[in-house]
Amino acid sequence: MYRKIGLFALMLILATTVVFAQGAKESGEGETVVLRMGDNIPDRSTGWGAVIEKINKEFIEMHPEVEITTESYQDQAWQEKVKIYATANQLPDVMKYWSFSTLLQPLVDGKFVEPLNMDTFKQYGYMAGSLEGNVYDGELYGIPVSADLWVIYVNKALFEKAGVPLPESWEDIVASVPKFKAQGIIPMVTDGKDGWPLCEMFDNIQQRISGSFQPVADAIDRKARYTDDNFLQTARYIQNLVKAGVFQSDLVTSDYGASRNLFGQERAAMYMMGSWEMGLATDPNFSDSFRENLDVIEFPVVEGGKGNSNDLLAWFGGNYIVNAKSEHKDLALEYLEYYAKVFPAYAWETQATFPAQKVDARENDTIVAKKLLDIAADAKTTSGTPGLDRSTAAFKETHQDLMRRLMSNIITPEAFVAELDAAAEKAAK
Amino acid sequence: MKNLFSDKKTIALLSVPSIAIIGFAILAPLVVSLYFSFMEWSGFGAATFIGMDNYRQLVLHDGTFYRALINTFLLMLVTIFLQNPFAFVIAAILTKLKDATSRFLRTIYFIPATLSLVVVTKLWVSIFNPSYGFLNKLLQGIGFQNMQIAWLSNPKTALGSVIWIMVWQGFGWALLFYYSGLMTVPKELEEAAKVDGANKYQLYTKIIVPYMLPVIQSVIVIDVISSLKQMEMVYLSTEGGPGDLTQFIAVYLYQKAFRYSEYGYGNAISVIFVILAVFLTIFIQRIFRERSAGKKRVGA
Repeated sequence: MYRKIGLFALMLILATTVVFAQGAKESGEGETVVLRMGDNIPDRSTGWGAVIEKINKEFIEMHPEVEITTESYQDQAWQEKVKIYATANQLPDVMKYWSFSTLLQPLVDGKFVEPLNMDTFKQYGYMAGSLEGNVYDGELYGIPVSADLWVIYVNKALFEKAGVPLPESWEDIVASVPKFKAQGIIPMVTDGKDGWPLCEMFDNIQQRISGSFQPVADAIDRKARYTDDNFLQTARYIQNLVKAGVFQSDLVTSDYGASRNLFGQERAAMYMMGSWEMGLATDPNFSDSFRENLDVIEFPVVEGGKGNSNDLLAWFGGNYIVNAKSEHKDLALEYLEYYAKVFPAYAWETQATFPAQKVDARENDTIVAKKLLDIAADAKTTSGTPGLDRSTAAFKETHQDLMRRLMSNIITPEAFVAELDAAAEKAAK
Repeated sequence: MKNLFSDKKTIALLSVPSIAIIGFAILAPLVVSLYFSFMEWSGFGAATFIGMDNYRQLVLHDGTFYRALINTFLLMLVTIFLQNPFAFVIAAILTKLKDATSRFLRTIYFIPATLSLVVVTKLWVSIFNPSYGFLNKLLQGIGFQNMQIAWLSNPKTALGSVIWIMVWQGFGWALLFYYSGLMTVPKELEEAAKVDGANKYQLYTKIIVPYMLPVIQSVIVIDVISSLKQMEMVYLSTEGGPGDLTQFIAVYLYQKAFRYSEYGYGNAISVIFVILAVFLTIFIQRIFRERSAGKKRVGA
């Protein structure tokens, strides 16, 4: 019997050895170098995703021994994945991320991000201030990839169908709600489930009321309070927009893809989102009529408010970073430089997104691209990093959660500003 | 052979793999979780010891935690007192139907349980969609023209809609258990009860249900556990919203750890969560054990 047990144990050890040896053989035998990448762009066939795939293909042609594997998720899921990977020390070699202090700073502090040479990247035509947004303690940790302008995309055909002119103010939008609804059209959609677009809107409406983006930064830095009148007015104003029926009725459970599709499938007249969605104008997943009628307008003003339409909520959010603990760090850095070199031209050529690097306007640019260039050029003031990304991760989540509550009418504007202020106070300690 | 298994060395040797598995897969994570529950830690860098602060905040000041607890208990009550009796009645009816009809209906009822959680959740999210969802279209079709309810976003309907999705998928399992249990009830018992003059109500309440008690216990324990660890459906449908109205413990734990980057706090929730799960399981088993002991005493 002892012999049988011994034999069984031996077989178990052998089987285990074979399994693990097999794994070692697969990873160690070939000469292929696998460069792991990750981003928040799941669609690889069109727009930005297609641009990345093109860059990857060219990089592989230059380095035949390299194989690139990419994993992509939507924003929130990708951010959570990165946190988990970082905790487990398994970050990809190169990845798209965000320069915000809420997201990048913890990775920098944990020494997960490789510092970059500022002089190397300066030569690639980055817009003023964009590289600096990726600097922590005097070191450059990422390259910006997009200039993010907060705008409203409109479907002109649906406006015509409802007999509504393009809006200049939020009051125009509220007045148009019954006309849109009579035609079965949702006036405006955005991604409410993730919450952050609601926070961008909060900052922007606040500016339209008070005339300045500064109170947001001051409230985060505790030089002002979220309970101040401008914020309370903003909260009341936003809740009234919801009550007036401006947004889709399932706003707080409608995610990025769902809201984007409602707009792309011509169910909604307006889509509140950033300039990175300029690729809608060339997205073959949507109809010709949608693409032909797509336009973009500045974030509307609030009647009686001090803000103007050319005060622009704009920032440089998305970036690319290199894993400081990567086994293929040199290759990853080389990839990053190649990306910086070719991305703006490819992105503009396909009108995939609005790059953070200078691009030349072309005759055949889409209307949306031309308008976005105009909006950027006409801006009198810009916001810089939005409020929710200026503080801690916990503040960001609380801000998003509170916006969802406010826009579900389950919290009063007074309670909203009080809780937001408490969150800012806690984050500042 | 007998000598071999009475040899303490052999017993110890054979116990090593299972003890190792329990130690590494169950006890070690619990100990690590307990350790981090006393820390303030963002998931990166050094953790700071803060004693019982996480527990104090959780128990004394966190309304969302209590909302998640209430929702979890509500789901338990719905599954135990609505889903289970209904599944039992349907299973009892199925045992009386012709074989082919019974088989067909069992297949139909069990289909939701065979689908993945993602598919089921996305299916119902689409059905509940206020713009193009089947439910609103159906309501409009039968005359409720103004029905444009955002089932998962409206504070009045969100929790009910989420619980409905969970119950819809779980029903098939309960039915399967009860049907299998009912098929094992000896025919002689039923016949003897009938001979003694028992009516149908008495047959079920006095004979069949007591006979099925072990099955009912198993189903209830499974329901309690699945209510406690409910995560994917909520995450894929409402993520706990609007506000925290559809929040459940597992989702809240995940959000605190991985979104708020409050890993210490998330671990404190998980410790409470484990204690609660163990306590509830023991509580339910004790209730059934006492009932079954009582029955045996009466029988003796």
